[in-house]
Amino acid sequence: MLILKALLRGPLHGYSVAEWIQQTSQQMLKVEEGALYPALHRMELRGLLKSKWGTSDNNRRAKFYELTTEGQKKLNAEAQRWARLSSAVAFVMQAS
Amino acid sequence: MAQNLHEFLFRLKALFQKRRLDRDLADELAFHQAMIQNKLLRQGVPQADADAQTRRAFGNESRWHERLRELWQFHSLENFGRDVSFSLRVLRKSPGFTFVAMLTLALGVGANTTVFSMINGLLLRPLAVPESNRLAVLGIDMGRPQIQYSFAVPLFRGLEHRHEVFSQVFAFDRRKFQVRGTSETESVNGQLVSGDFFSALETPPLLGRTLTPVDDCKGGNPSGFGVVISESFWQRWFNRAPNVIGQKLQIDNTAFTVVGVMPKRFIGADPLQRPSIFAPLAVEPVLDGSRNLTDAGLHAWWLTVVGRLEPGVTLQQANAQVGAATSTVVHELVANPEQLARIQQRHLHFTAENGSAGFTSIRMSFRKPLTAVFAMCGGILLLACMNLASLLMARGAVREPELATRLALGATRRRLVQQLLVESLSIALMGTAAGLAVAPVVSKSLSVMLLGGQGDMHLDTSLDIRVFAFAALASIVAALLVGLVPALQATSRSLNEQIKSGQHSTQSRERRRVLPKIMMAGEVALALMLVVGAGLLASSLVRLYLSGAGFDPQGLDNISFSLDKQPLKGGAFLGFYRQLQDGLRRQPGVTSVSFARMVPFTDFFWDEDLSVGAGKTQNIYHNSVGPDYFKTMRIPLFAGRDFDWSDTPSTGPKIILNQAAVKLLFPDRSPLGQFVTKHEGKATFEYEVMGVVGDAKYENLRSLAPPTAYLPMSQDDGQMGPSYNAVVRTSGPAGPLADAARSLAMSMAPAIPAPLLTPMSVTVDESLSAERTMALLAVFFAACALMVTAVGLYGTLAYATTRRTNEIGIRMALGARRTQVVAMVFLQNASVALAGTTLGLTAALLASRLLASFLYGTSARDPWVFAGSILALALIASAASLLPALRSARINPMDAIRCE
Repeated sequence: MLILKALLRGPLHGYSVAEWIQQTSQQMLKVEEGALYPALHRMELRGLLKSKWGTSDNNRRAKFYELTTEGQKKLNAEAQRWARLSSAVAFVMQAS
Repeated sequence: MAQNLHEFLFRLKALFQKRRLDRDLADELAFHQAMIQNKLLRQGVPQADADAQTRRAFGNESRWHERLRELWQFHSLENFGRDVSFSLRVLRKSPGFTFVAMLTLALGVGANTTVFSMINGLLLRPLAVPESNRLAVLGIDMGRPQIQYSFAVPLFRGLEHRHEVFSQVFAFDRRKFQVRGTSETESVNGQLVSGDFFSALETPPLLGRTLTPVDDCKGGNPSGFGVVISESFWQRWFNRAPNVIGQKLQIDNTAFTVVGVMPKRFIGADPLQRPSIFAPLAVEPVLDGSRNLTDAGLHAWWLTVVGRLEPGVTLQQANAQVGAATSTVVHELVANPEQLARIQQRHLHFTAENGSAGFTSIRMSFRKPLTAVFAMCGGILLLACMNLASLLMARGAVREPELATRLALGATRRRLVQQLLVESLSIALMGTAAGLAVAPVVSKSLSVMLLGGQGDMHLDTSLDIRVFAFAALASIVAALLVGLVPALQATSRSLNEQIKSGQHSTQSRERRRVLPKIMMAGEVALALMLVVGAGLLASSLVRLYLSGAGFDPQGLDNISFSLDKQPLKGGAFLGFYRQLQDGLRRQPGVTSVSFARMVPFTDFFWDEDLSVGAGKTQNIYHNSVGPDYFKTMRIPLFAGRDFDWSDTPSTGPKIILNQAAVKLLFPDRSPLGQFVTKHEGKATFEYEVMGVVGDAKYENLRSLAPPTAYLPMSQDDGQMGPSYNAVVRTSGPAGPLADAARSLAMSMAPAIPAPLLTPMSVTVDESLSAERTMALLAVFFAACALMVTAVGLYGTLAYATTRRTNEIGIRMALGARRTQVVAMVFLQNASVALAGTTLGLTAALLASRLLASFLYGTSARDPWVFAGSILALALIASAASLLPALRSARINPMDAIRCE
């Protein structure tokens, strides 16, 4: 979900996805490479992402990932699910 | 769903672009590494530290690759591919085993496929016509065990227009047409077909039109008689001339007009026929003259009747309906109340059965032999599988260390079993491929051999989807049979035990050896059954040949002249044959020449009722023969004299009887000079007996020589037409005689087709084609079974002995003598063989009864055959067991113990 969210702003390569998540979460969340790439590839396989090769800011060949409509739908669904879940957790915690 | 599809497509793409995928992965990761490094450098970390940190963060690169790649692959498929290549490597490492295994399976699967393709061609393959599953063959149930499938013309005409369940009902029969060409007359295979034949088979013509009910009328269609020809005949006779429609054909001395050409794939409703000419059924009286089958009414049963079911009508409904319609049809036909009562007493009724594969009369006579052969083939396949399984089991034992190592390295048992199964599957597939490669050739020659005498029949044994499916099924079943048990067994033991035990014999291993022993015993039993079956069939065939025909077929040729369409009568008729006899006698190597109406063993017979005076009438086979017949055939003349050309109608009717007929008609006195009476309806005819000859078989070699009476052809009234066969005894090869007969016939009667010369020995062989084929196949299978069993016994014992090298070494070191070692190893197999033989003997005794109907003069429990089979098996088994036993005796105790 976080990866999908990162890609909502436009195509990114793997490194900047990790960077973006790390920065946006104020260094709270750190995405390990070992989890990031399998996740990216799995989502590409399922058709949530598509990829193309391009050049990065420093002129290197890099693989850019982009959301598909399928991926957007998935993101919406996931975001709603998360909102429900987190509010539910918050309710429980506030209860006592 | 969409996601699954997407995934599948991507993986498929990845499968074919593996190298690109790998490069992309590497690039992507390298880029990421570079970015991290950049960041670290920017933060002021020194180059060397940055390198190290990046590497630490990333870890092993190939591990990364593997993880990502796994995502992209078809897991099981790639594993499977790896298994296949590994299996092939393993198999290549032991070419001897692979070769034997492949050969065994090729034999098993090949034999089954061959016989199945014949069964397919004869019984299963649907006719190449639209919706052949709606065809139904009609039969008559006369209350006999066998349903009769031949109809008389009036019965068929009574059924033809009954459309309650059938949209069309048609009849056909095969026949040879004499077609006159520009230079000579040719005999052409064709069929007489009724009006709805073509409309029911729903195949459009290539050119012109098909025959219709209008053609199938007395006198033909308004513009004469029409015929439809086949594409191949159009090619051969008319050279594919487009203006063939409307051309005249002179068939059986009658003018026909070609109205249509049928495409090559159309063969009518008999799968074994390839008719070139289709003529309307209604012209039969015109072609056959006074003795035609149509006017013979209910005395001639010759038509095959097939119906096409109305849409929506089931076969059961049709069967019930035609059964119910029987009495109406019979009532319309039979006026005589006495006859009607007789028919009703027999509960005669029509039947309808599935006709999608068409109908051929030969089906009934070959169904049983083919089934028996198929059963033998199944036995061979089972034998091959058991053999391979026990060999694999032995190999599995040898491969234990390898499997143990793989288990120890983390392979799951499932994975190992899968790999072992792939191994046996690849053997099976290779074997099947080899078997399939030879199957068409073998089945072709087999069907030629089986159909033997019926030269104009054609059994299509080509491989079609059904045969392939069968072969695939057979090979997969074989692979499972072969591979599963050994694979499960080889991997069944706990890892610990596997590694620990090494070469030491443990208690549990001894226990596990029971299974291969059972397998081998089963194999021996199966082999014994096959050998016994082969022995029975072969000895029956030998007895058939030894039983003799009553005449000497060696050096005897039969030449058939198709004179039946010639208007020869009386003196001209006799003159023609006397001239022919003189002409043939002058040929080099010819020692004697005669003629006969009926040639033995050609499926035709002629019988009459004879009595002596007012005594009991006896059914006696008849033949009409020329002078010198008995001398030519070498049938001994016991009393009286032979016929002579001077025995003309004016000298009084003469007859010669064989001994069987004499025994029946004159049990107590000499028949010479006596008279016998022939009854034909109310009329009687007297014949003077002028000779007694030896018994000669008539219809086939299997049945005893029937009581037979011979009439002189010189007194033949020509009622049955002028067609006789020449029998010629030669002292040299028959080749030149055929040419001589041809030119002789051309000069004397240019209007007849070229005469056909058949050596009598060939006729005899062909009359036994089914028996010969069966016996030959059975012997071949039995030989294969013996070989396979020998290989199996040798192989398993050799492996087992190798594994006991150590133990034997110790035994010898402790003082066992070599003979004792040999005996010990040998007895290990002997007990297996003994158990197998006992089992096989029991099974063979039970099963051989099924063969009884194929046997001639041989009991299904012939003690000699059984004893011989057991002896053969014992010899083979001993030889196969002695070799490893002797080898084990050569073990050097020092070496054996030291190798520990």
